[in-house]
Amino acid sequence: MSTTTATRTDPIMIYRPDGPLGRPSITLTPAPPSLSGLRVAVLDNGKPNTLLVLTRLAETLSSRTGTKVSLVTKKGPQGMSANAAIPCAPDIFERVVAEADLVITGMADCGSCTAYSVHDTIEFEKVGRPAVVVTTTRFEPITETLASNFGLPGIRRLVLPHPVGGTDPDTLHQWADAAVDRLITLYSA
Amino acid sequence: MTQTDERGADQVAEVPEAPAMIELADLSPEAMYELFEAHGWGDGLPLVPATPARVDAMLAEATGDPDEVIATLQPRFGAATRRVVAINAVLAGCPPAVFPVVVSAVRALARPQVNLRGVNATTHPSAPLVIVHGEIVKRAGFNAGVGAFGPGNRANATVGRAIRLVMLHVAGARPGFGDAASQGQPSKYTYCVAENTDESPWESYALSRKVDAPSAVTVHCGENPHNVHDDEADGDPALILDKIASAMTSLGMNNACISQGEFFIGLGPEHAASLALGRLTREDIASYLFDRARLPAGEFRRHFEERAWANWMHAVSDDHLLPMTATPDNIRIFVVGGPGKHSSVIPSWGMTRSVTIPVTG
Repeated sequence: MSTTTATRTDPIMIYRPDGPLGRPSITLTPAPPSLSGLRVAVLDNGKPNTLLVLTRLAETLSSRTGTKVSLVTKKGPQGMSANAAIPCAPDIFERVVAEADLVITGMADCGSCTAYSVHDTIEFEKVGRPAVVVTTTRFEPITETLASNFGLPGIRRLVLPHPVGGTDPDTLHQWADAAVDRLITLYSA
Repeated sequence: MTQTDERGADQVAEVPEAPAMIELADLSPEAMYELFEAHGWGDGLPLVPATPARVDAMLAEATGDPDEVIATLQPRFGAATRRVVAINAVLAGCPPAVFPVVVSAVRALARPQVNLRGVNATTHPSAPLVIVHGEIVKRAGFNAGVGAFGPGNRANATVGRAIRLVMLHVAGARPGFGDAASQGQPSKYTYCVAENTDESPWESYALSRKVDAPSAVTVHCGENPHNVHDDEADGDPALILDKIASAMTSLGMNNACISQGEFFIGLGPEHAASLALGRLTREDIASYLFDRARLPAGEFRRHFEERAWANWMHAVSDDHLLPMTATPDNIRIFVVGGPGKHSSVIPSWGMTRSVTIPVTG
């Protein structure tokens, strides 16, 4: 066996390609002792049917636990528009923090909208507002990955069937109603 | 709310440890495949093992601390040091001479206006196009001429591939996890060309963006090139420009609903020469295309419930013909390619802006 061949078959050390992480670590805001009387904000990123689903979730949560829907808004400046591919507008972020104790946001049912819904959710957690990101079965893996990337692998996430866009309102209401037990658990744990 | 700095971190990155080493069973291609597939790494094509000697040879082309974090790449918050970038350049097959271009493109992609988190995560087919300008084009052997977007040139192929590997490994843009692109696109393997300054009637694109440096790099995150063929123009620039405008006027691209998105127009040198004969400047061409690439406002409104438009665009009536982008300055002209009558339109992902910076190591 030649020297060259012997070298080719020896184990060697090479670099990993991924490099280190520069991410921060974030912790969940502790769950409140009781949900009764707490104010809930619905933050809509403008994806189709998001307003319908999030509003139904928040209203059903209120009827079950005694929370109050205090704010329903799109995430763009002055709540006049929504762009799912960038963070929540600063004025709306401040308004949600001022007017709500709990946040529900979405829809994390595409790529960039999942990235920024997860981002927004974490920003609310960082200022002490328990926040739930609503996603769908088909986008749960990317929601988990991105939440982990952004430093909060245990993000409060509510998973609905897929797809929310293009599904009829009656079905969406049923999906939302079926998810409320889980929503209560997310805000209580 | 947090702010994002020019290195792309919206939190201060911790000082990272040096990249870890891992054992490769042997130097065969099969061993590399086995190792990388086991970790979910790689782009599916054969890779060059990143041995310390090869990585050091790459780093020799750069200046500065190999372990300085030059960019934090999202969505993974991966800390890109020169060494980490060099590792991926080796894997991609880069010759060391192109390494400063790879480093500079990584720096550019971390700029906050690129919105790399969105670019990588979106379901839209979006990939960073790297355009190389200046003296490094010839020195490092980039192809600005015939087939510039295609195969056969090591510098173009490997710089684009190195950027993709950095996206996969450092930025976390793994399909299905940090990259949700529903169909993907071929330019997610490699996407790098050089500007054909020799055959351009105008100053270099970089200089037109006020980047006056011996070499520069532009990154633009968007779709694959959409071809425009015109063999007919003979003293009538409108025959070329109207075809380009028609390729720009599509309800299926994000420029339709996001007015800040740019269009990059890669003019073939023969088209560029025809337009210049008609005394058209770069600005004239952008103005013409801005004026010509339009649809009725009502049609946009019917198709898009949410429209990320400049404020004035919301005010017009449904029958008004609205341009495909907010300003002529969003239409960016550069010359690329070889003989023949072809040009290309490269739409934007939308919520992203191109960046042009000097090449530095």
